[in-house]
Amino acid sequence: MRIAIPKGRLQDRTLELFAAAGYDTPSESDLRTRRLVFQRGGIEWIFVKDCDVPVYVEHGAADAGVAGFDQILEHNCSAYQPVELDFGRCRLMLIAAPDAPPLTKVATKYPRIARQWLEQRGVRAEVIPLGGSVELAAVLNLTSHVIDLVETGETVRVHKLELQDLVYEISPRLIIGKNAFRTETTKIRELISRIEEAQNATTVSRIA
Amino acid sequence: MVEKKLRYPTGVRPLLIEETARRKRIESRFVNILEDAGFAEVVLPIIDYVDPYASILSRDNSRSSYRFVDREGDLVAIRSDFTPMVARALAPALDASQLPLRVFYRGDVIRCDASRLGVNRELFQIGAELVGDPSLDADVEVMNLAVKIAREFGVQPRVVYNDTSIATLLTDDERRAVATKRALAPADIARRLTPEIAARLESVAAALDPSTFALHLDDLDEDTGYYTGIRFRLFGPDSRKAIAQGGRYDDVYQRFGTPAAAAGFTFTVDDLD
Repeated sequence: MRIAIPKGRLQDRTLELFAAAGYDTPSESDLRTRRLVFQRGGIEWIFVKDCDVPVYVEHGAADAGVAGFDQILEHNCSAYQPVELDFGRCRLMLIAAPDAPPLTKVATKYPRIARQWLEQRGVRAEVIPLGGSVELAAVLNLTSHVIDLVETGETVRVHKLELQDLVYEISPRLIIGKNAFRTETTKIRELISRIEEAQNATTVSRIA
Repeated sequence: MVEKKLRYPTGVRPLLIEETARRKRIESRFVNILEDAGFAEVVLPIIDYVDPYASILSRDNSRSSYRFVDREGDLVAIRSDFTPMVARALAPALDASQLPLRVFYRGDVIRCDASRLGVNRELFQIGAELVGDPSLDADVEVMNLAVKIAREFGVQPRVVYNDTSIATLLTDDERRAVATKRALAPADIARRLTPEIAARLESVAAALDPSTFALHLDDLDEDTGYYTGIRFRLFGPDSRKAIAQGGRYDDVYQRFGTPAAAAGFTFTVDDLD
């Protein structure tokens, strides 16, 4: 079985979750090397950019992985999403520049989601796809609005931007390739129930 | 502009002498098996009008084909799925006394999937259609024939199948939950089956080799496409990619004017060695 771990924001909590579920995950010293593929406990762990996890799983290059709902939507990923994880939650928001004119141009890392959302809202606006630091587009008046993830809201405050609307609540999810489920059904079902149990156990211990 | 001396459009490439020889060997083995099983070849055009297929292909499906406007101003698509084309070609000339009809086809399909790993691809496919036989024997015949072909190529096939008509027994919410999460356990779905579907699945299972075929009641796509009954996928050693798929689609022919049950399968030959 090959499992895709998202590098970046979700990496540490994802590895902790798999470890809590009893999987032999790559150690910290493993991770200090520049390698991106590790064999541990009969599983091949691959470390890929968070936005690429749905692509790997969708096309069967990995059997399972952890991906944010933002990336799942943006890639129109058809993989199963059996478990919603309780860390790394954030919100995809419509954010406006101070004293912004009506919404006509919006910068985002999520052009597909943005176009769909604008369409549903009946708003005609041009979507400008950017690779990162999207809020700068509003700060520098490249666009009047941006659609981006908001975790603590610190960036928004620092740049004196205004949160205008919720686009989606975003949670990371365990995702499973459809063909992996078809052909490795027993292992996949076990993976799902172990992740669910580990997550429930940590939730209970946090409440208690 | 990037230079185009060497480059081809994404997803297509020529086969040179050795690859072509290999492709031809594979083709001829396929043709031998299919002809021995009583199937006769039909040849279909590489482009066709989009209009006649509008009621059959879902929006996503028709968007995965290359479409353009021809000189008369009609919308035309490059072949991206053989099955509806076979139906459109055969339906007007179907003669009830000649049914069931066994035909096979081979050729390229071109798909433009808008993802980064699997962009526009030209795929060489060979497939078979059993037209005019609504019986379970026909389902079993096409599934077993697909397995026989895979074995011929040294593949130890595993087939996962389900009955897409189960989708009609679920609420919209349940259907979405199954399609996105596989949220209903197979046992829960089993309890919901109508006696008719349950009996059908039992007879099919009894006729299939259990070491090769597995029924997954919770394997339902959100959009079942034109499938109306059994839907199966055949896997080889690479468990992440199906090398063949097929099933039953009893409504397709009637959309082209002549009602006829049909079942069949398609191998994507690029995935076989």
